[in-house]
This record gives sequence, C-alpha cells and structure tokens, in this order.
Amino acid sequence: MAAAFKGRREDRRLVSGGGRYTADWNLPGQLHAAFLRSDRPHARIVAIDAQAALAAPGVVAVLTGEDTLAEGIRNAPPMLPYPGRGGQPIKLPPRSVLATGRVSHIGQEVAMVVATTALAAADAVERISIEYSDLPAVIDAEAALAPGAPLAHPEVPGNVCFDFDYGDEARVKEIFAGAARITRVKLDSQRICGVPMEPKACLASYDAQQGVYDFWSSTQGITMMRGSVAGYGIAPDKVRPRAQDVGGGFGIRSGAYPEYIAVMIAAKKTGRPVKWVGSRSETFVSDHHGRAIRLSGELAMDEDGHFLAARYEWVCNQGAFPSGPGPLINTVTPKLTPNGVYRIPAVYGRNRLVLTNTTPITAYRGAGRPDAAYLLERLVEEAARESGIDRVELRRRNLIPKDAFPYTTPTQSAYDSGDYEALLDEVLARSDWEGFEARRAEARARGRLRGIGCAVFLEPAGGAGPKDQAMLKFGSSGEMTLYSVTGPSGQGHETVFPEVVGRELGVPPELITLRASDPDGPPLDGFGTVGSRSMGAHGGAALLAAREVVRKGLELAAKELEVAAQDLEFAGGRFRVKGTDRSLALVELARRHAGKGAVHPLDATADNAAGATFPSGAHVAEVEIDPRTGAVEVARYTGVDDCGVVVNHTLVEGQVQGGIVQGAGQVLGEHCVFDEGGQLLTGSFMDYAMPHAGLIGELRLYDHPVPSPRNPLGVKGVGESGTTGSLPTLMNAILDALRPAGVRQLDMPATPARVWAALRAAAGARQPPRG
Amino acid sequence: MTVNGNKVSHEAEDRTLLVEFLRDTLGLTGTHVGCDTSQCGCCTVHVDGRAVKSCTMLVGQANGAQVRTIEGMAEGERLHPVQQAFTECHALQCGFCTPGMIMAVAGLLQDNPSPSDEDIIHGLEGNLCRCTGYINIVKAVKQASKTIGGA
Ligand code: FES
Ligand code: FES
Repeated sequence: MAAAFKGRREDRRLVSGGGRYTADWNLPGQLHAAFLRSDRPHARIVAIDAQAALAAPGVVAVLTGEDTLAEGIRNAPPMLPYPGRGGQPIKLPPRSVLATGRVSHIGQEVAMVVATTALAAADAVERISIEYSDLPAVIDAEAALAPGAPLAHPEVPGNVCFDFDYGDEARVKEIFAGAARITRVKLDSQRICGVPMEPKACLASYDAQQGVYDFWSSTQGITMMRGSVAGYGIAPDKVRPRAQDVGGGFGIRSGAYPEYIAVMIAAKKTGRPVKWVGSRSETFVSDHHGRAIRLSGELAMDEDGHFLAARYEWVCNQGAFPSGPGPLINTVTPKLTPNGVYRIPAVYGRNRLVLTNTTPITAYRGAGRPDAAYLLERLVEEAARESGIDRVELRRRNLIPKDAFPYTTPTQSAYDSGDYEALLDEVLARSDWEGFEARRAEARARGRLRGIGCAVFLEPAGGAGPKDQAMLKFGSSGEMTLYSVTGPSGQGHETVFPEVVGRELGVPPELITLRASDPDGPPLDGFGTVGSRSMGAHGGAALLAAREVVRKGLELAAKELEVAAQDLEFAGGRFRVKGTDRSLALVELARRHAGKGAVHPLDATADNAAGATFPSGAHVAEVEIDPRTGAVEVARYTGVDDCGVVVNHTLVEGQVQGGIVQGAGQVLGEHCVFDEGGQLLTGSFMDYAMPHAGLIGELRLYDHPVPSPRNPLGVKGVGESGTTGSLPTLMNAILDALRPAGVRQLDMPATPARVWAALRAAAGARQPPRG
Repeated sequence: MTVNGNKVSHEAEDRTLLVEFLRDTLGLTGTHVGCDTSQCGCCTVHVDGRAVKSCTMLVGQANGAQVRTIEGMAEGERLHPVQQAFTECHALQCGFCTPGMIMAVAGLLQDNPSPSDEDIIHGLEGNLCRCTGYINIVKAVKQASKTIGGA
C-alpha cells in the first residue's frame, strides 16, 4: 500500500515563489529583444528601413532576415525519416529565422530590435518601416486543395507538401464493394492553441572564446533542444540549453522557435546576453498551433456488425511551414493504431499535409492520437445508430480479446498488452450506465437534454529513439545524483524518478536527486519528454542503473564481508551473507568508498531500449444541455485507464485529469480561428475559450493496469491518454443528448452558439413552416 | 510601500506596472505574468489585504500600500495553509499558475472562510491553469478552508 501523498519534491519551491522560469533569469549586462511581426498573411517584402529604429534611444542593433542568412542559419527540416506516396519526399518551402523576400503568415518574425530595455526595444519596433506588396492568401486546408487555389508558396504546387498513405488500398476497396453496411463520417478536429501558462521567452549568452551559447528557454529536454537547434545549422555541442522550471510543454515546447535562434545570433553579434520575453498575444500567434485536421472515415461491417474494413482520409493543415514534428505526427501516428482497440482486418488511410498562410502546426497534447480516436469512435457510434445494434454491444463484438497480445495491426504495428473488454465492463459498472435512462428522464422533466457517451480507445506511447540512458553518481555520504535527459514541465520527475531508484535500492528516495537535462552533467543519449515516453524510457533507464549499482555493490560488498559475491543477497538496502545476519548497508558501502577518485566504484550508467506501449482506456461521460441557451454541462465523467504499472498513483491521476480537461477544452470551447483574410481572431484570452475551474465537476478515475512487456517498469504512457479519450467520449455524449431533438451531426467545439443553432436547425427541419 | 513586511522605496517610470516593479526592481519573481489582458491571474498579489491582479495596477497606485506576494506567505519554514493544501492535494503541476492561484485562494478564503463548490468555482474564474484541469485545485481550496476554519 502506497503511503499517503505528502506533496512532490518540486512543490516547496513552486508554492513559495521559488520556481525559476525562463523570464526569471537575468544576466549581467543583458540586452532585450523585441520582434516586428508580419501583420499580413501573404506578401512580398518590398523594402525594410530600420534607420529610425536604429537611431532610437537605447537601441543597440536591428536584425533582419539577411543577417540571419549571413550567419549561415538555414531552414530547419522536419523530422520525417520516410517518403510519402509513390516514394515522394516532402516539399519544403524556404524558411528563414527572420523573413526574407516574403511573409507567409500573420505573426511571422520579420525583424528584431535589441535595446538596453524591453520597453526601448518595443518602442523602436514601431519605428521600423516596411513596405509590403500583398499576395493572394489561402487559409483553409480544404480550400487550398481546390484547383486554382492561391499558393501559400510558389515552390509547392497544389499546396500539398506531403502526401502519405498506408494500408492496403485495393483490398479495402474490394471489401467495401461487397460489405452489407457502410458508415461514413466527416469531422473537424479544429485548430487549437497549446497555451502553456508560461509565455514564450528565452535568454542567450555567447562565449566567443569557446564559440558556445548558454541558452535558457522552456524545453522538453536537452537533446531535443540541441537537435532542433542543429536543424538551423548550429552544432549541438555549441549550445548549453538550460532550464530549471518549465511552465508547461504539451508538445509545443519541444523544439527551437525562430525567435530563439534570432536571440542567439543577437547575443553573438552584440557580445552581450540578450533576453526576450514574449507577450501572451505574441505567444498566441507565434507558438505553433495544434490539430487543424479534417477527418473523414468509412467503416464497413457485415450483417451482424463485425467490422470488415476501414478507410480514412485526413487533410492536415500544416500552416505556412512544416514544423519539426508536424509531418511526423500527422502520418506515422495514425498509421500505428488504424484499428484502435478493434479487430479490423483491412485498413487504408491517406493523409495529405497542406500548406496555408497560417501559423505552423506542431505536436499538441495527443499529437494525432486524439484525432485518430475521435474519428474511429465517432464512426463506431454512428455505425451502431445506423445498424440498430446497441453501441456497447457493437463495441464488445469487435474488441481485440485479451489473449491476442502481442497483437499485430494490419499496418504491422504490434500492440503490447491490454484487456479492453475488462476496461469497458468496469467503466459501465462504475458509471452506472444501466441506470442512465432514469437520469435522462429526470433531466427531461427539468427541461434539460441529458446524454451519455462512451469511448474505448488506445494510443501509441513511448518508443522513439534507439535508447535512453540514465546515470547514478554517488556523493561523499552515500547520496546519489541521477542524471537523465528528460525535460519535465510539471510531471513530477524530481519526485518519481528518485522513487523508482529508491525502491530498487531500498533507500529513501530523498537520498537521490534528479538532475534532468543538465548541460554540465555527463553526456547522455536519449530523447526528451514527448510522446508520453518519460517513465518507460527514462524511468526504465533509471531502474536499470539502480540494478547496475546493486551488481557492482555485490562485488564490492563481497570483498568487504570477505565472502564470494554469489553468497550475498541484496534486499532492503543491505547486502547480506545468505542464511546469516551478517550484512552491510548499501549507503555504508558507498560511504566507505567515497572520495577515492573522480569516479565512485558504484557509479553506474544504464541503457534502456524501451519499445512503444499502447495505453488504453474506457471512458463514460454524461452531459446536460440547456436547450434554451445551448450551454453544455459535463455532469459526470468516469474513466478506467490502463497505463500499465502505476509507479505513483497521485501523479498519474494528475496527468489523466489534466489531459481529460484539456480534451474537454477542445470539445467545449477552444478554437483558434483565422478569418478568411488570415487574421487571427482568437489572439487573447478574451477570444480564446480556455477551460476554467468547474468545466468538469465530477471526475472519477480508476487504474486498471495491465503491465507492458516493453520496458523494465511495465509502465505505459499516460501523459496524453486523457486527451485522447475525452474527445470521443464527450462528443458521443453530447450527440446522444442532442439526438432525441433531431441533431445528428455537430463539430467541435460544442459552444452554446453552435449547439443552440443545431437545435434550432433540427427543430426547423422537423416542423416546416405552415403555408 | 511595504512589501512582505519590508519597507521599500524606489523611483519608477510612470508606466511601470506593479507586477513589473515586483519582478524587475525587487526581484520577486514568484509573481508571474501569463497574459496581457488581465485574465490569467498568474500575477495575483495582495494589496492592503485584498487579492489584486498586479498587472492591472500602476506601481504609483500602490504607493504607500501594504503588498504581500507569494514570497511572503510562509512563516519561516511553516507554509501558509493554502500553500500546504496545494502541496498535499497535488494541485500544481508546472507551477506557473500556482503563486497567483494561491494568492487568489487565500483572498477568497479571507472573504468567505467556508465557500461552497459554486463559490469556489466562481472565485477561481479569474485564474487559469493549463495543467491540472482544476480538479485538485478545487480539492485544495476545500482542504485549506477546513484547516483555516479549524485553526
Ligand atoms: S498577468 Fe494575466 S492577469 Fe495579470
Ligand atoms: S500547474 Fe501548470 S498552469 Fe497550473
């Protein structure tokens, strides 16, 4: 039984104002940067005149795109290790850190002023004069596919930069031709802004002698940041990425933004540290956005409701430039789980990545997973309605059975473990699914539309990268430092990684201190904190490093106790001579051998090659809609999740809670909107509907762990599964509430205005005006 | 003005906001800036005993006032009951919203020592959190209300 939660080790500083986020760092002699951003979606830059800005008080330098090109900074290519349809590679439009030649979206960085104060820099930006010649812009991804649509970039004809497909097209076509039932849906997974509460910021200094930058920013890991910076042409070993506290990551802080590179160049050019703290408005328009996918799906079934084949089409708006992760998450992620938790013998999917004159798209919590789950679970729900088969029964009939693991999908990805039917049974019981109709009737009596919805889902998590390393180093009195290249942003790594090591070594976790992504620590391989991978990959490496300590300790203790190593056993933090009470504590052993050289004999490094895991869940939501206003209230939400072995229940629950509410944000209100002219209409918290307290009042979560064989801890990813589950669960519940009123289709976000309009339209269709 | 019990006196440009003064001049970086439209609540502090968004005030308006920031909440090693409740209820993840949340909640409980669920939700309307889904924040407010009420 786990001890009661007393708080995390990071909490003391964070509740006391002792956290240090990017804007909290300052360096002596630092200058401040401000950016001139494009105020039009697509235009040729005719001329930039920075003379007046340069002459303004306090201004030290003005940088434009030409300066960044002169520094040898190049286009950062996306991660995309495979070609598309017909072997075609991705088509990349030219992109520079500060715009050259033309601007391609509102908010694009055009020039940068560096001055002695932030206010002076901001004032001087106003004095840069710039002449544009407007070009036709394309904003919507489907409109961009139309023949004759304006081109976001002349280098990418037809606006499709990458065309990708997977599965067996011919076979799927054949099955569809003979199928008894076919269900089709077309949905929108709308553009979302990630909105970590910490706005985008950075601070750079340059050591001219070593040619090395020290660079503070929000990061999801040192190796990722270095890799991303390297994409722009700055060698990874020339950057020391630094961070103590990161105010939210969610995928959108995984790489280096153009501003970061511009600030680094400015530090080099001026010879002084340069700091930039973006405003929320700047962050809204220039943080890369998420989702923005039109999803189409078709499901073929036989007479009895057995799934036969599925066909998908995704049109993915990538904004003006493909981001680092954008192309990857919109192609390989859906390919990994094309049949979700169901047996579907044949699948085919085609995903087109489309360039438009909007802010680029990147990974945002879920990164393709919520979209895939949303599409499939809406299809299944619709198929149930159309066939008249009960929606729970239809799911049950098609679930992959628990003895089918490892299960190989039609696209050759191998699910690790799971028991989907048990999840479904548990969530139905816990949510009192059977008793729902009484609650619906009771709500109806109050004039409310009540609905219930469920989703059974899974997602790919972890994997990525051949191996992750962890190192344990001993100090002088038996204490240890754990080095790892994770990039935590609130997950509690400082608490839970030492717990993993402490449990294995039988010592209190307080004896172990995590140093995550420390540029002054030992160089370690691994990938950052993305894709719900940290516990499986880095936590697993930490566990293996602890085991290596025990292995080394057995040898060392054998000498101390004058026995053979095989006569020793290790338990409860002590090496004991088997069958006797002679023993030596690990901590004591470590103390005895401390200070005898740079390397402690118990220091240990371990490699962990963790594979992909497939966390799953079954969620049920109940909503109530006020038909007079269209307002949707989430009455209760119940989740049963299999994220493998649970190392720290409280932290896992926190991840799922946050994930579910982030998904609920997308379902109920969040929507990043560009108008037809390419202007961002949702550039502040006044227009962008962030989730507030009380969005989900009653949230009950249950662990249902099925260990994963893919990593030493048996864990599965948990950072994103809540979001993946809550999109389909909530939308299925909302449509269940609306169906009796005649509404069959609604896209996210289900805002009061949209719900009200849908109800009105349905009422109008039912009762045609008399006459 | 007095900040966390210490008298401070500085010249500042007219357009300086209270939050800028606290962060940049006094180095009290526990008070955060999360927006430019006075909606996130990350910058919440107490001015003369009331919770205030310090980005909505010019420093001149706080001339002579008693200001309390997150750095002034604990008494030595002893956390304020709201800080304690946030810690024990896992009401923070990245912690960026946390100082403002804690100051807002402390203000709320001062005005209303035993708030209902609705009061809590209403009281947190001006504070945004992206990480926690607010579930544990609401829990922490209830726990803190019990501790304070029982003390
Ligand atoms: S900084 Fe957002 S409300 Fe003050
Ligand atoms: S804990 Fe991250 S924003 Fe609230």
